[in-house]
Amino acid sequence: MLAQQLVNGIISGAIYALFALGFTLMFGVLRVINLTYGLYFSAGALIALLAVQRLSWPLYAAIPAAILASGTLALFLDHMLLAPLRRARAPELASLMVTLGATLVLYSLLASPLALGTEIRRFPPGVIGGAAIEFLSVRISLTQILILATTLAAVLALTGLMQNTRLGLAVRAIAENAAVAQLMGIDQARHLHFVSFLSGALAATAGILIGLNFNAIQPYMGETMMLKGFAVIILGGLGNIRGALIAGLFLGVLETLTAGYIASSLKDATGFVLLVLTLWWRPTGLFGRATEGRA
Amino acid sequence: MTMLDDFFWTYQGVIYALGINGLLGLSIYVVLSIGQLSLGQAAFMGIGAYTSALLTLKLALPFGLVLLAAMLVPALFALVVGGPTLRLSGVYLALATIGLGEVLRIFFLNAPLTGGALGLSGIPERGGFALIFGSLALALAGLVAIGRSSIGRAMDAMREDELAASTIGVDLPVYKLAALTVSAMLAGLAGALNAHVSSFIGPNDYGFDAAVTILSFALLGGIASPFGPVLGAALLTILPEALRPLHDFRLVVNGLVIVVAVLFMPRGLLAWRMPRIGARID
Amino acid sequence: MAMKLVRALALASLGLAIGVPVSAQNKEPVTIGAIEILTGPNNKYGLAIKNGFDLALAEVNESGGVLGGRPLVIAYEDSAGSKEQAINAARQLIGAKKVPLLLGPTLSNEMFAAGPVANQRKIPIVGTSTTANGITAIGPYVFRTSLPEADVVPVTLRTAKEKFGISKVAVMYGNDDAFTKSAYDVMKAALDKLGIEILATETFGSKDTDFSPQLTKIKSLNPDAIVVSALVEAGSGILLGKKALGFPASVRVIGGNGLNAPKVAEIAGEAADGTLVGSPWFIDKADPANQKFVAAYKAKYGTNPDQFAAQAFDTLHIVAKAIDAAGETDPEKIRDALGGQRYQGVMGPFAFTPDRDPADTSGVVVLEMRNGGFQILK
Repeated sequence: MLAQQLVNGIISGAIYALFALGFTLMFGVLRVINLTYGLYFSAGALIALLAVQRLSWPLYAAIPAAILASGTLALFLDHMLLAPLRRARAPELASLMVTLGATLVLYSLLASPLALGTEIRRFPPGVIGGAAIEFLSVRISLTQILILATTLAAVLALTGLMQNTRLGLAVRAIAENAAVAQLMGIDQARHLHFVSFLSGALAATAGILIGLNFNAIQPYMGETMMLKGFAVIILGGLGNIRGALIAGLFLGVLETLTAGYIASSLKDATGFVLLVLTLWWRPTGLFGRATEGRA
Repeated sequence: MTMLDDFFWTYQGVIYALGINGLLGLSIYVVLSIGQLSLGQAAFMGIGAYTSALLTLKLALPFGLVLLAAMLVPALFALVVGGPTLRLSGVYLALATIGLGEVLRIFFLNAPLTGGALGLSGIPERGGFALIFGSLALALAGLVAIGRSSIGRAMDAMREDELAASTIGVDLPVYKLAALTVSAMLAGLAGALNAHVSSFIGPNDYGFDAAVTILSFALLGGIASPFGPVLGAALLTILPEALRPLHDFRLVVNGLVIVVAVLFMPRGLLAWRMPRIGARID
Repeated sequence: MAMKLVRALALASLGLAIGVPVSAQNKEPVTIGAIEILTGPNNKYGLAIKNGFDLALAEVNESGGVLGGRPLVIAYEDSAGSKEQAINAARQLIGAKKVPLLLGPTLSNEMFAAGPVANQRKIPIVGTSTTANGITAIGPYVFRTSLPEADVVPVTLRTAKEKFGISKVAVMYGNDDAFTKSAYDVMKAALDKLGIEILATETFGSKDTDFSPQLTKIKSLNPDAIVVSALVEAGSGILLGKKALGFPASVRVIGGNGLNAPKVAEIAGEAADGTLVGSPWFIDKADPANQKFVAAYKAKYGTNPDQFAAQAFDTLHIVAKAIDAAGETDPEKIRDALGGQRYQGVMGPFAFTPDRDPADTSGVVVLEMRNGGFQILK
């Protein structure tokens, strides 16, 4: 049983990590608690589903379309809501507030009977096979392998982008010190829009994979992931990509082992206890740099 | 029943909610006014609600004692977790308090004492209009008085620049802990009053969603003075009920109102600051 | 500004109060109130119930209405799943619209909040979908027409034991929802009474999507069946997870009322085959009243009715008859008339117990999921 539980935990963790990648970028670079992040997660899954169901697109076309659409939505919201506040140098809390309002509006639009309703939907059967591999005493399905592969690919791609390209360098500079970066000639607005787009796209990817794996797509699916997402990005360090991966996997395995060996009622508490303990003892996370205390 | 009695009975839920949410608005005002983004009010409210409901249901204590306990128990909790938590700031503090709130919610969900998911029902109706709005008035008066005093000046200094404040002798940890404790007491009081006019409480009432709603009272109304969050609470309480005729579009319009308000008034609706007793430097 | 608002609200309700007729005029409509979840998550239950009410309402009004020719009207208020709003809705309907009777609310949680309000004002309130323990204990004005889990679950479990020789099970339940927790309590009691061994008890959250830790642990214990108390979302997730982990097909899932929805098959597909559920109603019940109802529902709404719609349908007819029996729109008289009602509906024969719960449990059938639909277990 232990082997299977570890596999369960790793897959679950990979999902957390994938979700957290975009979240940590948004948080670490834009420095705002953006409550709309969960929406891009749901939107990705829903758009892909609609493309397959209503437009009869094949899966390999629906997925990229959904990812692009979600990224664009994120960019649009950033432009409409957050950019004006940045320009007006509004207090930090105003951004939080406006994303809260946007969340209310958008979730209820998505969930209203006009659009999609709150029904749970699934991808049509057979869209992705139920095939699975069994070895030793462990069973992994095709979708689960896909999740693992996508997460690793995303981490590698993102790390490559951040470390080896000018774009990545600019983004890191902004994250480090926005004012100085502006002085050095880096166009904040354009780069922040890019980060928003990327975050939205990453969230959508996670949403689609979860939709495929668990077959339960509904507008509010992003909400519950967000709270776990907080734990992962704090543990991994804000803005730290490698940290998000490791923290995500760690949380997934810890949760699964707690549920399997201690008590399933404590499963959800694991993340929050981890969050609080991390904040009490090492707020910058396992891999974050200490940037506090500049006088 | 007279026409006015009837009206009051019909809208009792909303009327009481105005007072209780006002108290919650003040609860978060206290911590926001010294620059601490602590989001534990919903959790403290839950502690107050459960403590008071259990004392009334199991021990049949007089309501005055129950209210006292509903303020002291959350205060105790605040003192215990305040230490390590208040070393954090900004978004980290917010997340820590949210995390603690969720741990507490899961505790409420699983402990047999608190009734688990079924919560506690059959709570008798206690308190009422006078008690709720009386408490709100008292709290408001108290905070206005503090705000106009030298303590208020220290609080303003902390909010503007913590480092500078500490160099002029403001004892940061003491202020932060005091603020958190007062915030806990107000929220606990609100929780107890609410429990005794709702007859039924459950663990899911005091989680993340509630914390964010309480935050929105303060953000909509502005935190320049204690009146801001009370105004914000009043508006956000009345809005869903006033929009009832819109049926499906209620939540959409609710959210739109918040978005528009913040975009055009990022410092909140009530940006008026209280004049301070003593020298004016501007 | 707040005072202006208060004054405006006062004037508005004044206008409403004067508008409602004081004495029974010949063709004035009789308005009853209904509080259901019409928006937000869970609104599928509320909408199904509303459909059932409206279908029955049309029938009642076509055959002459109530109290000698007066049309019956339902004033709906949305609770959006929030108990505060359920309370406010109850106060609105009773205080401003002065209804003599309330239907709903949808969820047991909401009934615990709104029921005492109606009871305090001596207005009868009839739940059509609330199945938790202790609902009618709220007070003498609280009725329910939905068969509580305590009457259905033991039948299902006993049938499973007799038919499949089930002697040891694992139990899973959602511990953050009053309904699923309450149903679990019933399941545990029934299992103990039947002498079935409980190998493990696992919990989950209603919004969870990953059940592999719990299911992996359960699989290693080799139960004969898994008893699940969940709503549709989590329930279908468990079925899918069970299949993904490779449980033998002989290990069935036995569910409570939450799994009694065709949606389960829609989401879980093949993985749902073999699931056992006890139900007070079944769409293919052969009697003519039921078949007529199903056909009428399909014609009007374009989808199949579920048990929520069926229960709502019967309840409205029962309420209309009670109003007629009372002779006037007096809540006290309606309440007394309600208690003594006997009705033969699509759910089968109906009567209230002295405690205002459904008395007749003979209609309970055990269903098995096969190929996307429920069938009577053979």
